[in-house]
Amino acid sequence: MIKSLNTAATGMQAQQSNMDVIANNLANVSTNGFKKSRAEFEDLLYHNIKEPGQATGMNSITPVGVQTGVGVRTAAITKDFSLGNAVITKNPLDIQIEGPGFFQIRTEDGQVAYTRDGAFKKDPQGRIIDKNGNLFIPEITIPGDASGIEISSSGDVRIIQGLSDVPQTIGQIDIANFINPAGLKAVGKNLFMQTAASGQPVTMRPGLQGTGYLSQGQLETSNVNIVDEMVGMITAQRAYETNSKVVQAADQMMQATNGLR
Amino acid sequence: MSTKGVYTALSGAIAQSQRLDTIANNLANVNTPGFKKDQQIFQEYLTANEKPSEVIQVPKIVASVESFYDMQGGDKSYVDSAGTYTDFSQGGLKSTGNPLDVAIDGKGFFEIATPQGIRMTRVGTFSLDGNGQLVTKDGFPVLKSAEGNSDPAERVIKLTGNQVQISDKGEVFDGDQMIAKLSLVEVTNKDSLQKIGQNLYNFKTGFPPELSNVAAPSLKQGFVETSNVNIVQEMTEMIQTTRLFESAQKAINAYDSMNEKMLTLIK
Repeated sequence: MIKSLNTAATGMQAQQSNMDVIANNLANVSTNGFKKSRAEFEDLLYHNIKEPGQATGMNSITPVGVQTGVGVRTAAITKDFSLGNAVITKNPLDIQIEGPGFFQIRTEDGQVAYTRDGAFKKDPQGRIIDKNGNLFIPEITIPGDASGIEISSSGDVRIIQGLSDVPQTIGQIDIANFINPAGLKAVGKNLFMQTAASGQPVTMRPGLQGTGYLSQGQLETSNVNIVDEMVGMITAQRAYETNSKVVQAADQMMQATNGLR
Repeated sequence: MSTKGVYTALSGAIAQSQRLDTIANNLANVNTPGFKKDQQIFQEYLTANEKPSEVIQVPKIVASVESFYDMQGGDKSYVDSAGTYTDFSQGGLKSTGNPLDVAIDGKGFFEIATPQGIRMTRVGTFSLDGNGQLVTKDGFPVLKSAEGNSDPAERVIKLTGNQVQISDKGEVFDGDQMIAKLSLVEVTNKDSLQKIGQNLYNFKTGFPPELSNVAAPSLKQGFVETSNVNIVQEMTEMIQTTRLFESAQKAINAYDSMNEKMLTLIK
């Protein structure tokens, strides 16, 4: 009976982590470039109380074994990299990747981070930075007298400078792709880091090898679907309750045992 | 004399507490994809079976006070757990939209290469590892079907990062190119399977590993098979279990008070 108490506890824990994931998804429902996660579960080991074929008496053997499981655990929390919707902002430094791929960012400690959030800004020197002031890779500086910035779908950054009518190319935005984006590690601030599971980044011009083209003046919204999350929340809450009922039942049985004397 | 039956009542209480263990595991896995619920089956266990037939005279003579002593402890019956049966009925299909989620609609198991050997699973929530191999959530490679008994290491499915399409028949397309067919096997005798955790199944020891390829597989990309645990049913069984446990306790109590009565009579 102590076993069923612990089994129910693992069930409650699993639903709790399910709820944590759903809460984070819902909290980020309007975070640009946010990718939702999903908790996935698997059963724990099984106790073999009786092996099949074991003798139970002189003339009888068990046709099948007796095994009881001891609960559930969270196997993985998977990121879902499906595309979010587009929202038009008309801001020249808002860029959306319309397909797979990541922008590259140089973090403060010099590492390369990856993001889908394309809301970029300029620092006082005219360099392109993200919201937290991290430099864009490759470093692109926009001169102060530039009158218009144009980013082509394949990543060419052009400006019109001074009295000239002809746009000048000042840089090229490359995007990185991974063989297994779900293996990336989310580090907060809309950034992802490379891991052994994600594989090595492959840097290329946007639109090549199945990656998305760039689209200026629009942003990618979060891919969280509120209805899905609400349904998931109801399921998680009810499953949690059910497991707490098992704890109650086990408790009741132990109470009956204690009432024997 | 009255103490004999207390063990019969006890065996009932033990059986019910074991049944609650199984119910607790079913309910803990109510959201585990591909989980199949277990059921404990109980049977009567006669101590008469422990004696050779020449000693036991139970059915041979007309019951009398004298014949009672001939039974030599062969007159008791306990409840005994006969086995755990897994209910392999289909779970519901839930849409996820993830191209690497593949649900089995109908018969069959995926073949997974674990370090201990090939195991089977119903769960198709796959992902890719850093080398582009199709793996389960625990990182074990998913196998493609192969003629004959070829090496599991040669049956892994390797993708190059293009768009993945998996057809209803299990054909895996990497971009436009078909690179493999997911291995879907059917087990002839479902009772020969045992659960080993991590949503995996293995053959019980002593049972022949009889497998056959599923002739007409039916897979659904972008779906996950949910657990086939029915909460209402499990809750009802749980109520029943607790009540039966309490009844067994009451029986133990009754034996206890009978003993008490006997002791006070002598005094």
